Amino acid sequence: MRRLVILLILFAVMRGVFVLGGPTSGIPTLMLFGFLILAAYSVGELVKPFGIPKIVGYLIAGILFGPPGLAYVSKPALTELTPVSNLAIALIAFLAGAELQLSEIRERGAAILKMVSSELVLTFAAIAGTMVLLRSQLPILANAPAAEVVAFSLLFASVAVVHSPAVTMALLTETRANGPVARYTLGVVLVMDVAVVLLFSLVLAVARSLAPPAGGAEGVQAGAVLWEIGGSVLVGAVLGACIALYLRFISRELFIFGLLMALLGSEVARILHVETLLTLLVAGFVAENAGGGRGEDLRHAMERAAAPVFVVFFALAGAKIDPRAVLPLLPIVIPVVLVRMAGIYSGMRLGGKWAGLPTQVTGNAWLGLVSQAGVAIGLATVVADVYPSRGAPLRALLMATIAINETIGPIMFRLGLKRAGELTPSEANAGQSVGSPPTAGAH
Amino acid sequence: MTTPLLLILVAAVAFLATHVVYEWLAKRLLIVSGAEYLVLGVLLGPQVTGLFTPAAIEAFQPIIILGIGWMGVAVAMPLRLQRLVRIPAVPYRTALVESLLTFGVVTAGATSAIAYAYQVPWREVLAAGGILGAIAVASTPAGLDVAFGERGKDAARRAPVLLQIEVANHLNAVVSVVVFGIILAVMHDTVPLMVRALTTTEWVVVTLGIGVVGGTVFHLFLGGEQSADRLVISLGGAIILASGAAAYLELSPTLALFAMGVVLVNSMRNPGAVQDVLRAGERPLYYALLLLAGASWRPDSNIGWWLVIMHYVVLRTLTKLWGTGIVTWVNGAQQSVGLDWGRALIGQGRLTIALAFDYSRRGLPYGDVIFTCAAVSVLFTEFFAARFVRAAAAPLIAPLESISATTGAVLDTVTETVTHALPSFLQPSEDGSADRPADVSEPKPAPPGDR
Repeated sequence: MRRLVILLILFAVMRGVFVLGGPTSGIPTLMLFGFLILAAYSVGELVKPFGIPKIVGYLIAGILFGPPGLAYVSKPALTELTPVSNLAIALIAFLAGAELQLSEIRERGAAILKMVSSELVLTFAAIAGTMVLLRSQLPILANAPAAEVVAFSLLFASVAVVHSPAVTMALLTETRANGPVARYTLGVVLVMDVAVVLLFSLVLAVARSLAPPAGGAEGVQAGAVLWEIGGSVLVGAVLGACIALYLRFISRELFIFGLLMALLGSEVARILHVETLLTLLVAGFVAENAGGGRGEDLRHAMERAAAPVFVVFFALAGAKIDPRAVLPLLPIVIPVVLVRMAGIYSGMRLGGKWAGLPTQVTGNAWLGLVSQAGVAIGLATVVADVYPSRGAPLRALLMATIAINETIGPIMFRLGLKRAGELTPSEANAGQSVGSPPTAGAH
Repeated sequence: MTTPLLLILVAAVAFLATHVVYEWLAKRLLIVSGAEYLVLGVLLGPQVTGLFTPAAIEAFQPIIILGIGWMGVAVAMPLRLQRLVRIPAVPYRTALVESLLTFGVVTAGATSAIAYAYQVPWREVLAAGGILGAIAVASTPAGLDVAFGERGKDAARRAPVLLQIEVANHLNAVVSVVVFGIILAVMHDTVPLMVRALTTTEWVVVTLGIGVVGGTVFHLFLGGEQSADRLVISLGGAIILASGAAAYLELSPTLALFAMGVVLVNSMRNPGAVQDVLRAGERPLYYALLLLAGASWRPDSNIGWWLVIMHYVVLRTLTKLWGTGIVTWVNGAQQSVGLDWGRALIGQGRLTIALAFDYSRRGLPYGDVIFTCAAVSVLFTEFFAARFVRAAAAPLIAPLESISATTGAVLDTVTETVTHALPSFLQPSEDGSADRPADVSEPKPAPPGDR
């Protein structure tokens, strides 16, 4: 009830302010940022008793208040708020890296690599095959030559295999799950992120040779890909070392310091053309493991700083989902989503068996790999940039797939954690409280 | 250099300045650091090196607005009614009259000076003069904090002069913020929104309403759960929303957030956690604000410009010095606080910059000259604010401290005598509970000199 009152007050405030501001006022970026923090968080809390993760609530808030809904957050406002999304991605990557202990990598590294490789191969092949089979449903591929069909199917599959470190980290932060399923899922998502950068670059080069873009854009240079990966590790290591020094010798005001470092890492990565996620991931890992035992303090401080940023990040991601654009594509998207899930499931089971992991782990960890978000959207945009005319429908299809995976993914991950018994009792019972009679003494 | 990288560097400089330079200077040299970042901003801005382009400064508007709003909520934080009612009426009366006197005198002086310098009728510059008057009222509390620190808070309870300075700092800030917000509402566009244009009173109500709604939403949002994460989200969300809404409506974010701060500090059972979060952000935001304010400074070659600035600084200083003396004498409080405690109010700081920058960034008339007045005043006075406070208060505190030391010595002697003369009186009772101070029968540790 309280959350509904908050939403009603916020709704009234926004209406009032927009009326008083008049039609000629500019974009109230700061006000929208504050509004999204409070409104999306309230929606997140509103859906939690139904057993739905808060981040799905944030996404729903984004759809509700974004351009397809009430349009409080207009398209220009979405552009103005892009730095918030960039900061969120940087924080997510840093926190993910800081979660990794050297000892854990030694212990679980080989098993994670086996699961990643089998899952990647199976999912990629299954999605590419599905696209070839469904080509008659897609106007751009229906009458295209075979080489072009293969090229675009491979490109589509290389983006569709991507997972979401953001959703994984946000859900782990929200539920505070820390068991084997949580750890293996996080490990697979992070390693897959690096693998996908390589795979996408390779596939793009192949696609360009099979179906040259209009205007004959240049091919992917091996040096650029190498720099993107190697440079990320290098820049991330330097940044991480600086943070570790700060932790060892100063270690004060970690809340603001953490935010600053995430911003700095993201901006430096952008300027040096290296992978932001990988850079921050390495920085987080180095800071955690070389910080003289103070990495945990920084992680906790950054989690606190990240909380409102994550809320806005997912709300903005939701605002970019247009349900009206997704609906007509459902006949193609649903098979793709199902095949992707099947690929992830088979890959994880196979990889888990290869690594000798109990089925309890792999049987639940695959549920954490369904989500997709920022990285996949970024890659879909690259495809549309390289192929301006033919890439646009492909991008729309990818966005529709991502929208569905983004919405159902967190719910499935939470289910996996619950089945594995890695949720706290209060988290695990969240869905059971709705409609249940009040306990004695509760008023 | 890219705008985001610039922003990060600004924040990094502000951050390092806060935690390295500020504390070191304050402790070692009794100097209030901050104004130098204004100079740094000027050096980085379009007037000198051009590192900060006007477009970059425009891109920082959300940070600027947030910083300006933050100062408003910080002003409200000491205004907890529960604490305020314990203070006698005389310091309030003295401080309020002093604030209004400063506002009146500087407004009149600044209006005349601007009218003379720009050769325009005084009616046209009355609002600008009023803005300068409102800004002139503000005095920095940093001087008291640096000069007496934590000890100052205890000392303020027993030293009337420190209490008077503290009350005056707070009341100056309140008057400054409220008057500034009202003048902005007066100057608000009179474009009909739906049926008619809103009146000044209505705009003031809207400004205060934004703050009250912000405070209410904060409480509803926080609910019964007082976790640190939730506090940060609810406080951050409410402050950002209220600042953004006020700025969007071209109202004063400082006044809106001041209203919100008053609601927060008086409606929470324990506002300490909120104060901690606010304190953590206040100084870095102030330094960022100073840098950006310096960078956006635009000088004018008009000689009349400098006349207004000199006039403002001199008039304000004299009003603070003599005004307090006159007001104290009229209230008959000279015995306890002296006649020249006004020296402690000469320092200007974060609120002055926030208000002046808020005015100048809107492109309102005489914005550049008003901002320069404030900047010059902060440059010349904030640095030495702690010394001003010390100079004003030390002569009155020294006798108190000696009285305190004498009282302590007398008490020690009496206790020792009683201990030796009446040992049985101080024996523990049979049930083992002691109805006496625990340390009386225990051997006292030797003083350091005897070891």
